[in-house]
Amino acid sequence: MKRKIMSTAAAIAAAALVLSACGGDSDDSGTTNGNGDASGGDDAAPVTITFAGWSLATTPEFETLVEAFEAENEDITVEIVEYADGDDYDTQMITDLAGGTAPDVYPLKNLNHFFTYQDGGQLVDVSDVAAELGEEVSGVDAYVIDGATYAVPYRQDAWFIYYNMDLFEAAGVDQPDGSWTWDDYADAAEALTEGLAGTETPATGAYQHSWQSTLQGFATAQSPGADFLSGDWEYFVPYYERVLEMQDNGSLVSYSTVTTNSLSYQAQFGTQQAAMTVMGSWYIATLLAEQDSGDADDFAWGIAPAPQYDSSTTDQPVTFGDPTGLGINSAVEGDELEAAKRFVAFAAGEQAGEALAGIGITPAASTEAVTEAFFNLEGMPMDDLSQFAFSTHDVRPENTVDANNAALQNILGDAHSSIMSGSESPQDGIDEAMRRASDEVNN
Amino acid sequence: MALLTLDRPAKTFTPPADFRPDRRTPGQVIARVALYVGLSVASAAILLPFVWMVISSLKTNNQVFTVPIQWIPDPVVWSNYVDIWATSNMTTWIRNTLILSVGVTFLQVFTGSFAAYGFSKMRFPGRDVLFLAYVGTIAVPWQAYMIPQYIILSRAGLSNTLWSILVLQAFGAFGVFLMKQYYDSIPEELSEAARIDGLSEYSIWRRIVVPLSGPALATLVLLTFVNTWNDYLGPLIYLRDRDLWTIQIGLNSFASQYNTEHALIMTGSVISVLPIAIIFLAGQRYFVQGIATAGLKG
Amino acid sequence: MATLSAAPPRRRTRRPGARLRRRNTFIGWTFILPNFIGFATLTLVPVLILFYLGFTSWNAFGAAEWVGLANYERLLNDRTFHRVLFNTLYYAAFHIPLTLGAALGLALLLNRKMRGVAFFRTVAFFPYITSIVAIAVVWNMLFSAETGPINQFLGLFGFDDLPGWTVSTTWAMPAVIIVGTWREMGYFMLLFLAGLQTVPTELHEAARVDGASSWQRFLNVTLPCLRPTTFFVTVMLTIESFKILDLILVMTNGGPGISTTVLAQYVFRKGFQENDFGYASAVALVLFFICISVTVVQFLANKRRER
Repeated sequence: MKRKIMSTAAAIAAAALVLSACGGDSDDSGTTNGNGDASGGDDAAPVTITFAGWSLATTPEFETLVEAFEAENEDITVEIVEYADGDDYDTQMITDLAGGTAPDVYPLKNLNHFFTYQDGGQLVDVSDVAAELGEEVSGVDAYVIDGATYAVPYRQDAWFIYYNMDLFEAAGVDQPDGSWTWDDYADAAEALTEGLAGTETPATGAYQHSWQSTLQGFATAQSPGADFLSGDWEYFVPYYERVLEMQDNGSLVSYSTVTTNSLSYQAQFGTQQAAMTVMGSWYIATLLAEQDSGDADDFAWGIAPAPQYDSSTTDQPVTFGDPTGLGINSAVEGDELEAAKRFVAFAAGEQAGEALAGIGITPAASTEAVTEAFFNLEGMPMDDLSQFAFSTHDVRPENTVDANNAALQNILGDAHSSIMSGSESPQDGIDEAMRRASDEVNN
Repeated sequence: MALLTLDRPAKTFTPPADFRPDRRTPGQVIARVALYVGLSVASAAILLPFVWMVISSLKTNNQVFTVPIQWIPDPVVWSNYVDIWATSNMTTWIRNTLILSVGVTFLQVFTGSFAAYGFSKMRFPGRDVLFLAYVGTIAVPWQAYMIPQYIILSRAGLSNTLWSILVLQAFGAFGVFLMKQYYDSIPEELSEAARIDGLSEYSIWRRIVVPLSGPALATLVLLTFVNTWNDYLGPLIYLRDRDLWTIQIGLNSFASQYNTEHALIMTGSVISVLPIAIIFLAGQRYFVQGIATAGLKG
Repeated sequence: MATLSAAPPRRRTRRPGARLRRRNTFIGWTFILPNFIGFATLTLVPVLILFYLGFTSWNAFGAAEWVGLANYERLLNDRTFHRVLFNTLYYAAFHIPLTLGAALGLALLLNRKMRGVAFFRTVAFFPYITSIVAIAVVWNMLFSAETGPINQFLGLFGFDDLPGWTVSTTWAMPAVIIVGTWREMGYFMLLFLAGLQTVPTELHEAARVDGASSWQRFLNVTLPCLRPTTFFVTVMLTIESFKILDLILVMTNGGPGISTTVLAQYVFRKGFQENDFGYASAVALVLFFICISVTVVQFLANKRRER
């Protein structure tokens, strides 16, 4: 009897698996919700495509893209399907793609999951779209696998220093001049902390958020000869030593305090608890909005290029940031596919770029018109250094498009919390991470 | 379910043995006072995180997470409780969550208590293996089989509808297990006597076993309701349309990677705890002695 | 499993017995069926698919590729997995008895007629419904190494080498265990409270007349009557402890390092983050087999005591 149960179970499992296998490959029209009559043969017939976006209430970029696109293409309607933000976005998207209920066009939040989707055969080859894009669109190369392009970027973030001009003045410390190395940054943070200690609202010199990116992103982008995938990660050690020293001398709130109190960088910088912080370009729009609403204090601020490994790169400062791309669901075909390609091509271009810049998003297309639209935002700092930092830099992706990337990032994430909390020395923590990388991933 | 229990309101209440209001010695009075003091202090300590929730709901966004914790909000932002209704679809979220919680609870209690009778009072081959299979599925983390399950449900056309959560949660093993264990403690003599009187098994379930299960049914109702009410991952995976969002999903939409409305999230959390607290307080009266069996056992 | 199925029904040769058994089987199934239909299609089948997936390499899209025992060989050599398994066992080993004791104690304490009992029961249940973010923030504050009340309290007793709690690889797990127990005791208290209603007061009275102390009455009256509930609570508590996830995510996120990373978290990491659903399924199956073995042992022990 036991055997009978087992064999029945196996049969059911196998049957269901066949079902599920079909689910992934089938490319019938069932994959697109709510566009029943869209697939007419006539060229002029209106087409509806679906497009994924996250947290629409707080993230206006998707609606901005769609509005700008629909104004130009009256025969195409783009419906936004709402997803959650953060890691939940990819959890939902993986499930939807597996179940065949994903939208026609979906954003690739980071390069790590781009690989997941491409490797799983869930993205249409859009090399033809990519070939038409101009020089001004950065980040396209990140989406090339074996000579074919599987997504195009519409947004390219980069990391800068944000600094509070008022607090620099109060502390009597020189503002960034665009030539800072990490050691200069650390010295300034220490001087700021000392200078601000006697004031009414003692702030720390700098704030470093708990994410592993805040340190590892820079180290991988800037260290000479750094090869992330090799698992040879000695180059992280000096970066960790420096930041631990900054913690020890009080120029940073300690990592433990940040994590156990769930501190947010918006509150720390926005309410003047820290004179400077390194953060991604998305924070510009948030800070402007918070100063406007009163959530953040009213103070003069600016952005400066990210601190460099050494002074050799200050003309074209090296920083990091993954592009955000748009991919097309491999289940899409016919008129919808054509419409989807027009949409992603538009999203990467200058016109969409200006629209995005108008709401404080840093678009993939980088032209003078885009920079101008960006700095026309109300409340934006107008100084030369901020404009230089925004428009001139060499952005390296944080994630490598590779099957091992996610596992390696996770190992380094463990090392990050271990080293930053003081549980292990930088050398020991990185040694352990390297051992794990060679045992578990690169074997 | 409620009807079943209401039909026979708690039978004549026999006070627990150690309750004797008239004969208290000074020692007992002191013990009682000490008990209340102890319970009150413990309550205050246990409620601390909830107090923090309430306080945070009265702050501005950037004041929620600070070092050290600010226990008195300055200024007190009462407007959060107005804003949350104005700026979000709180009404829709509450309605959806209520539909799901009530629906799931009803189905789970009904099918669960019915199936439990089969497992507890009937004897047939394969019963224990089947029961272990039920319990076994509880032991599998949901994230691990979420995708196969999603594929099945979306093939059935149920993804992105409230039905998906309803059918998903309603037939879980938890209710069967809980009720089965409770039925096990109802003496077999009761059902034997009923069988001799010619009652069918279905009548025994309906007229004898269910009426005796007040406390267990109340527990199952409460726990199923709470778990459905607070479920995050289920609605996250299955519900996309804004019109279908539950409270937990809705509140999470205040949190985005770059900007999170911490104060509003806490406001919403406080609002969402209140119905549960009320149901819990109301459900108390079912936690009374359900079975008077000494005569039978004797 | 085979022994279990063989145990209860005794083979009889007489015809009427067989007919009775057929009738019982039929009636038994009619009771189970309404639930079973939903349960089988929506839970049992996906779980069986998971069993299959544990022997494959699968990226969530398309067909899974059979790899035999490769995932399990990898588990044997995966030192991170060993540590994660150890962490989970560590959590369970302390969390189960502590919660069991606290929940039973609370239930006994609050199973009496006294003014305000409804309020105190509600309070005990509150940790279970309080926002988990709030729980993490307040407990992290209480545990704070330099300024937290817990360490200040310990300091009063002259301890000088005070633990760093959630930011220390040694003390993070005890901290999580404490909060886990605090959070779930009210939940299991409720189940015990329901069970306590089945304890006949008459038995207590009779024992009291016989001169039994309250401890003896607890041992000889309450506990035996509570056995089905205790079995239920122990099994659920065991399973929930081995599946612990959300509390860890908000309290420590598995850190520092991997000192509090647990199995359920590893499943999610390998599956949804690293897109290795075959391996994730294998990890889930290990978790399943631990839980089911513990459950079967409890099941058998419970069965024997019932006789």
